[in-house]
Amino acid sequence: MALDEMVDGKGGLRPHWRSLLGILTSLGRPVLVERAQRLERIATEEGVSALLPGAPPDPWRFDPIPVLLKQAEFARLASGLAQRARLLEAVLGDLYGPQRLLAEGVLPPALVYANPGFLRPCRTSSGHTSSGHTASGQATPDRPRSGLLQFYAADLVRGFDGAWRVLADRTGWPNGLAHALENRRRLGRILPEIFASHLLCPLEHFTEVWQDALQRLVPHADGDPGGVALLTPGHADSDWFGHVLLARELSCALVEGGDLTVRGGRLFLKTLRGLQPIGVLLRGEPGSRIDPLELAPDAAGVPGLLEAARDGGVHIVNHPGTGLVEAPAFAAFLPALARRLLGEELELPGVETHWLADSAPGGPAARDAVLRDPGAWLVRPALDGAAPALAPATLPEAARQSLLARIAAAGEKYVARSPVMASAAPCLEGGELVPRPLVIRLFLTHAGGAWRAMQGGLGCALADGAAAWPVAAPGLAKDIWVLAEDPLAIAGPPAHRIPALAIRRTAGDLPSRVADNFFWLGRYLERLEGAARLLRAALARLARPSPAPHELAELDVLTACLTQAGVLNAEVVAGLSHLGLSEALLRAAAPWGAIHAMIGRVSRMTGLLRDRVTGEMHTVMARGLRELEDALEQIRPREDAKARETASGAMSRVLVFAATVAGLAAENMVRGGGRLFLDLGRRVERAQAVADELACALELPGADHQPALVEHGLRLALELRDSVITYRSRYSGVLQPAPALDLMLADPGNPRGLAFQLVTAGTLLHEIAGIQDAALPGIAATLLAGAEAMVRDVQAAPDQARAATLLPPRLRALRDDMADLSDLVSRRYFALLPTARSVGIEGGTPALLGAA
Amino acid sequence: MIYRVHHVTSYEYQAPVALSAHLAHLLPRALPCQRVLSAGLHTAPAASWRRDGTDHFGNTVTWLFLDVAHPAFEVTAEATVDVGFPDPPDFAATPGWEAVASAARHGGPAAWQAAEFLFDSPLAPASAEAAAYAAPSFPAGRPVLASLLELNARIYREFTFRAGVTTTATTIREVLSKREGVCQDFAHLMIGALRGLGLPARYVSGYIRTLAPPGRTRRLGADQSHAWVGCWMGPEHGWVDLDPTNGLVVKEEHVVLGWGRDFRDVTPLRGVILGGAEHELSVRVELEPAAAGT
Repeated sequence: MALDEMVDGKGGLRPHWRSLLGILTSLGRPVLVERAQRLERIATEEGVSALLPGAPPDPWRFDPIPVLLKQAEFARLASGLAQRARLLEAVLGDLYGPQRLLAEGVLPPALVYANPGFLRPCRTSSGHTSSGHTASGQATPDRPRSGLLQFYAADLVRGFDGAWRVLADRTGWPNGLAHALENRRRLGRILPEIFASHLLCPLEHFTEVWQDALQRLVPHADGDPGGVALLTPGHADSDWFGHVLLARELSCALVEGGDLTVRGGRLFLKTLRGLQPIGVLLRGEPGSRIDPLELAPDAAGVPGLLEAARDGGVHIVNHPGTGLVEAPAFAAFLPALARRLLGEELELPGVETHWLADSAPGGPAARDAVLRDPGAWLVRPALDGAAPALAPATLPEAARQSLLARIAAAGEKYVARSPVMASAAPCLEGGELVPRPLVIRLFLTHAGGAWRAMQGGLGCALADGAAAWPVAAPGLAKDIWVLAEDPLAIAGPPAHRIPALAIRRTAGDLPSRVADNFFWLGRYLERLEGAARLLRAALARLARPSPAPHELAELDVLTACLTQAGVLNAEVVAGLSHLGLSEALLRAAAPWGAIHAMIGRVSRMTGLLRDRVTGEMHTVMARGLRELEDALEQIRPREDAKARETASGAMSRVLVFAATVAGLAAENMVRGGGRLFLDLGRRVERAQAVADELACALELPGADHQPALVEHGLRLALELRDSVITYRSRYSGVLQPAPALDLMLADPGNPRGLAFQLVTAGTLLHEIAGIQDAALPGIAATLLAGAEAMVRDVQAAPDQARAATLLPPRLRALRDDMADLSDLVSRRYFALLPTARSVGIEGGTPALLGAA
Repeated sequence: MIYRVHHVTSYEYQAPVALSAHLAHLLPRALPCQRVLSAGLHTAPAASWRRDGTDHFGNTVTWLFLDVAHPAFEVTAEATVDVGFPDPPDFAATPGWEAVASAARHGGPAAWQAAEFLFDSPLAPASAEAAAYAAPSFPAGRPVLASLLELNARIYREFTFRAGVTTTATTIREVLSKREGVCQDFAHLMIGALRGLGLPARYVSGYIRTLAPPGRTRRLGADQSHAWVGCWMGPEHGWVDLDPTNGLVVKEEHVVLGWGRDFRDVTPLRGVILGGAEHELSVRVELEPAAAGT
């Protein structure tokens, strides 16, 4: 029988839950069900799965019923955890320093030296000449290190006796903080009623205090002190969404290893403007993966980062080696360590843990006990804080025997605990409150000389029967409320002045990688739109029962354009009947076709840019992309009128989507930075498409010896450029080559024509580069002159139609020049992005090793 | 015995390297039986940022950062050292090997540093196969040094030195079945065997003299970096260095650069480069007795 958080042993409500339960009851079941649904909807619309369709959803789901803790009770937990943080900091300071705990036999060597979390390079010292160190044995710095741990979290459970116990210490990179903040905000949106009658300790003070503490850590050695950045492994990592949220909470840059570089012992962010110093790096990656020079050589990381940190050029939070004390076996030593290092008893006990090593106190006896009665224990790898627990009782016979054999042979690799019966907290399921086992994670930061706890945290409700070693793993998240008893006790953060920021308005601070992603988002969006427009035009012509000869010729042109655009495969299309062509088009539009792939590319870029666009823009894009995928799902690649109609409708939705995004970008994005590159990408892509389509249209079958046919090609080109109405209003119904070409190639007022793209691209390049660099805008101007010359040549020719049929080679050359311009942009702005490789350690031949 | 070391490592890149960072274990560490009379390291092109330090094991390390484009990179390490490792103790006086294993396992003031070399490391995990190979030399109660010397001699006799048949990725098991390899392979094999038996063993990186003294055969592993094995004989007798590639006890033909758990901890020169496409590496090592009076 587990303790219930809400109900006491006699079936009565605990007093501090009364008010909440009263409100929930008065809201009534239908309202609660509706609110829970709204919460789910928010999770989809704003969560990670909305960014990356098809990606696994955010592992955190959110339950709307908070866990209530009285302030006095919370204060005891906060004090106990602050003591634990001081203790772990002292242990780390010794183990990465003089290692007296090992020398004096307080800790057995295996706990440290066999521990994968012990990063030897973190004990390296540098900056002095090589003659100054001891001549025998290991380097022995005489003083313990300090300041290794800055951010700490612990997972706790409450047992049947009502006492909280620590299940696990999180010293490497505690995740879940941003989720806790986000959950509180969402709860405020969907259940505002329950906040009205409670006096709650706010969460925000914690981030303010933390931000302030981080500012204090920025080294002020020379000149520009440098900013704060959060290092993330990237969007493929399961914690990535948490990193995005946290970077926003802390108003710091979210960066990946490839964005950073070490020069002269300092850490820099590679931006369009050049290198910007970083003074504090929050490490959202395992410490072993942050520097391929000294640690895992295959990791991304930043070469030289550790040495820059040793030199004081950058402060890493937490220090890379802090994961060491997450090993479960440490738990068995903490009471003794507290007495030894702090001269104190542990205020907050851990769940009793036995290390089954011969060299551990009581280890052999515990091992015998586990082997004798395996069903009564939970077993975990001793030195891996992330590995799940195994319950021998629930293992199949063979697996249990093999586990027991491994424990008998190498007890030092395992720890054992009695199963903990976690307390139960009410969760909302189908409008009813259902009790679920609860683990809570609380967060602390070291600020102003003391450890401070966030007054709240992340609850984690476990599935029934998951009492097996409940370490808070992503699952059903709950908000934790600390009920304030004295509203005046809520103190603000200590003031720490940040120097006034210089006003900046350029694109310069954008990381090169982000600019690159915006550029490609623009190109992919335009490519998608162009393909949909071509596809819709082709489907419309196939819908007619008996196409006229000129329509058949237009179909040929469209097929050529679609092939050029990568929607149709040239080899497949060659010699297809109309029926076959229609099927090929439907396949291209249906799920897993070319359009689907283009949507996928847009989605991927949208995901990579999650933290770079406003929430509104992101929500619109994510929802739009999902709806487009749904629309494609409806298309059956069977040749019939209905399928063509569905496909045509889906293509129209693509066009609407593209227009919506373009409008949002214009209205919603700051004109600078990412927006410039997004727009540039679109202009580059569209300019190439205009040139390509027009070249195909002017090569209409038969046009070379029957120039009158050119008229049909131009009409089609006007349709594809959405310019038919403009042309008609200017020239009534008379179609002549020079005016039509002028509208499509040389008129800078036509947003779908070529001139507009080139003029805009020139302006954008000018804005991006500033006045120093006129080379790239100059190229755009030259291309524009070439387009104007084409129109003039046709205008001046005695036979305009024949002159127009000579243009395709010039148009294709222009398209290639545009591709070259795109390459130049890449080289000029994104060239800081080559990937790093290790030499000397990995590689095929022994010669590489410098060893015989 | 005074030696002069000259060690040149050079990289030729197909395309210029824009940025590079290197970590060198190329300067000899000072030891009671190895006096470093002079040591220096220089590079071409010169490093934009250079740092020197001491790693966790007490080895001398150097960081070299280059941030100007360079088509080639050459590191030259030079040192003059006076070496004379003491004779190993009388093997009969060393404790039984099981007692040594037990002392290491329990750590404590006299054994905790040696205990670090008991555990698996990426390239030299404790190996049951290698331990089985070594087992005939480790009958119950035999003095540890007698067993170690026999294992050292057996690897020398039963394995063939051959360059080019193994890589960094070669496992101890493959070396055991091929019965050939280079000094690094033999060192990892012996370390894996000793760890498999519960005895601490460490990887020692260094050099062996290029030209043998008159009347003796030329040693294997000269002209290149060399590696051998440090073996622990218990708290009283400490470490003895054995070179299984040559079947030798390390006395005065070797110079120590440093040690670690395996090659990865003391790689002479490792680096990360940006750009460069393909690269070619060449290594030249000379270890000569210094002329008298220098």
